[in-house]
Amino acid sequence: MAEKVKLFVNGQEVEVEAGKNLIDAFGAIGIEIPHLCYHPALGADGNCRMCLVGIEDGRPPLVPACKTKVAEGMKVQLDAEKIKKIQRDIMELELINHPIDCPICDQAGECKLQDYYMKYDGQPSRMTVKPVLKAKKMDFGCGVVHDQERCVLCARCVRFTRLITKTGELGIVNRTDAARVNIFPGRPLNNRYALNVVDLCPVGAMTSRDFRFKQRAWFLTKSPSICHGCSKGCNIFIDHNREKYKDDIIYRYRPRLNEKVNGYFMCDEGRMTYKLENDNRLGTPRVNGREAGFDEAIESVRRAVSEAKKAVVLISPNASLEQMFAAQQFATAINAPVSGYSDGYVKAGDGDDFLIKDDKSANRASFALLGIDDSKTAFEAALNGADLLLSFDNDLSRSLSGDALTQLLADTKLIMVASSQTDCVAKAAVAVPVASYSEDAGSLVNCDGRLQSYEVAVVKNQPAKSLIEVLHLCGGEIKSNQEARAGLQAAVAVLKDIDLEQIPAEGIALTESEVAHVAA
Amino acid sequence: MQVQVLSARFDIPDANKIEIAKEHGAYATLDKVFAMQPEEIIEVVKASGLRGRGGAGFPTGLKWSFLPKNIDKPVYLAVNSDESEPATFKDRFILVRDPHMLIEGIIICCYAIKSHAAYIYIRGEYTTQVKVLQAAIDEAYAAGYLGDSVAGHDYKLDVTVHRGAGAYVCGEETALLESIEGRKGQPRSKPPFPAVEGLYGCPTIINNVQSIASLPFILTNGADAYKAYGTEKSPGTHLFGISGLVKKPGMYELPLGLPLLEVIDKVAGGVRDGRTLKGVIPGGSSTPVLTPEEAQTVTLDYESMAAHKTMFGSGGIVVLDDTVDMVKLVENLIYFYHHESCGQCTPCREGLGWMLKIVRKIIRGEGTTADIDLLTELCDNIEMKTVCVLSAACTMSTRSYLNKFRHEFEAYVAGGAPAQAAM
Repeated sequence: MAEKVKLFVNGQEVEVEAGKNLIDAFGAIGIEIPHLCYHPALGADGNCRMCLVGIEDGRPPLVPACKTKVAEGMKVQLDAEKIKKIQRDIMELELINHPIDCPICDQAGECKLQDYYMKYDGQPSRMTVKPVLKAKKMDFGCGVVHDQERCVLCARCVRFTRLITKTGELGIVNRTDAARVNIFPGRPLNNRYALNVVDLCPVGAMTSRDFRFKQRAWFLTKSPSICHGCSKGCNIFIDHNREKYKDDIIYRYRPRLNEKVNGYFMCDEGRMTYKLENDNRLGTPRVNGREAGFDEAIESVRRAVSEAKKAVVLISPNASLEQMFAAQQFATAINAPVSGYSDGYVKAGDGDDFLIKDDKSANRASFALLGIDDSKTAFEAALNGADLLLSFDNDLSRSLSGDALTQLLADTKLIMVASSQTDCVAKAAVAVPVASYSEDAGSLVNCDGRLQSYEVAVVKNQPAKSLIEVLHLCGGEIKSNQEARAGLQAAVAVLKDIDLEQIPAEGIALTESEVAHVAA
Repeated sequence: MQVQVLSARFDIPDANKIEIAKEHGAYATLDKVFAMQPEEIIEVVKASGLRGRGGAGFPTGLKWSFLPKNIDKPVYLAVNSDESEPATFKDRFILVRDPHMLIEGIIICCYAIKSHAAYIYIRGEYTTQVKVLQAAIDEAYAAGYLGDSVAGHDYKLDVTVHRGAGAYVCGEETALLESIEGRKGQPRSKPPFPAVEGLYGCPTIINNVQSIASLPFILTNGADAYKAYGTEKSPGTHLFGISGLVKKPGMYELPLGLPLLEVIDKVAGGVRDGRTLKGVIPGGSSTPVLTPEEAQTVTLDYESMAAHKTMFGSGGIVVLDDTVDMVKLVENLIYFYHHESCGQCTPCREGLGWMLKIVRKIIRGEGTTADIDLLTELCDNIEMKTVCVLSAACTMSTRSYLNKFRHEFEAYVAGGAPAQAAM
């Protein structure tokens, strides 16, 4: 356990983690110190002055909490009238030149200025002179739209481009109340993480062109999940809403803190993969090119399986560990070889040294765990003599050229159990829709061997069946995630001591030490 | 009343030239200095009672002793020649009239604090001064007083002149360091203090030009000779810039501790005929104004100024007579500090602009008594909530006018004629 120190807050003795600043140390035990410029990933800047707290017998008596480390015996005043007055005064000064356009501001509902006004200020405006006017709806590039009037000059965005992406596109130009965040002329934001400035911005100054004016924040349900955009497995919130008379739609992904995986951030490409969950989904089952009922489609699959001389099962590298295991069991039952061939999901050279990985699938590491071969040679060997290919959401058109796919399908019947419309689905003899990850639960192993789990986020008006249910209907033994997990624990040595129903929020590194630690 | 300690060579023609300066004693004390241990020099400076001449009056020798001992990082000296406080015009005389006194002082200081690199941060507007200073530095290099072997001793010292771009806030010592490092001139949060972590993350001493220029006299003549001037707690001499509505404005070197009114009358010739004294700004625009009554008893030293709830500041005395409109003076004051706010901290960035708009509203005749009260309250709300004291420089002085000359603000609010005499 981390080292602790004892100190006093408003006269009450508390124990907090040593080495942290007052904001983080107190935040961890549920005591809020208001702040705008401080962010744990960007360090203390000390410009907003909102976190000034009193130190009894201290020199100086007034310090910014973001820049002050906890110390044994320190006497911190948070509720003294003098501190409350400072918070009111700073809020007043933050707001005098703020447009207070909350009714049309995307940040409303998740805005620090709003929250702090309600909690620490609540005074009527005394501003009787003209406010400072600045520029609005500036296109900063990468889908970031900036409003200088709403900005509180906390410089989080500036520090992000300097400290995290090291691209430095943003700066604060001018002094005094003419100071404003800007880009250099003709040099817009140009990095693959730019939209994080929208999350970092404590107010509505940085907005996402994609999300602007789409939804009020308080209507959104914020469901924790894992990004499937690449093998990093960044932790996310899926923000979705079912408007009256409409379907449950995802409006945005936002990064969710996991120090062990993505920290506070995610890449822009991953952020935009929410669109794949909304659009171009396979809705109606198809049999031989015509729309069909679900039962009919399943019946067609069962018949094809029973009639096949040799079937091959192909699994998507985006399938969950449970789905892979269920598919593997199904394949064994029908005596079919299993492949995870999915070279097309890898974009060589695309990754970087931060979060973006070459492999654009979420769970390839589980192939190795289950002994599923994803090589092309093994796939071709398996296909030898096969007359039926059952693909469980593996889009072969990503891995094979059109000609190669046509050639393959010349003497092999293709059945696609798929979440999205793809070329492959169009060419399949039978296409069965299935739930995508935002509508399903499961576990993933990321590129660093970290096991993480996600729960159902979105429930559609017409929910598609989960892949495990479809497998079961097609003749598979396993009926649910629970059964798959029990099977996995028995079959996979490294999972033996892990409770797959209770994976901790930060995940588990599948190394001996951490597994042992969790089991203990 | 006037003395010639720092200004001894000011009136000698071409004293900025090294050969003329040397004829009159420049660099003569260096052999004695290098025969001493650095710690001994610090003791002499401590004994002299020299206090920082930039405005805060912190004891110079004590400041030097804050440097960490036995460190493996280089130590830097930054000479603050930003001289941006309105009404202050003392360092510019040293830079132009006797730059070799400054260079000699830099050598003494650097040797004492074991620094081999000094930066002179000079305000961008000082175009003539920077030319004269750089020429003097070039001469000093050519004559062997700077460079690999200072005055033939085994001591290396380089002096670099860094020109500012015209920002008042860069006179704040950590903003000055940021500016030298090539960044936007914004004060740093303290701690860490520059003596521990200053320029390029290394221990740094920042001294005002006049403080450094006082060192040759102290080292040549000894601490007691310096203490012979001034008072016990404020020893030495100071270059006073006297401006405003007096008959003989100008720069005068005086010992500390003289009565303010006597100096105004005898040195600066007093207020113009037929006018009466209305107030005195004692040490640069940021120091709280003194009423004629307060001016009766105040003397020109740190203690007396503090006892009168103002500050000695930079020695820039502004004399105000009965023609001065205090409300417009305050507008000018707030305009300056608002314009010069670096924009980093919320209270200063937003607050000074608000104060300026309120005082302009009052001047337009649209103000109310509530506006005067709000102005007073804002002074309290902004002051000491920021990283540096720029906002306090504005609010402390503004508050003094609001308290001592509130009737003039009220006259504007009442719509009557401003309360000053006809010009």
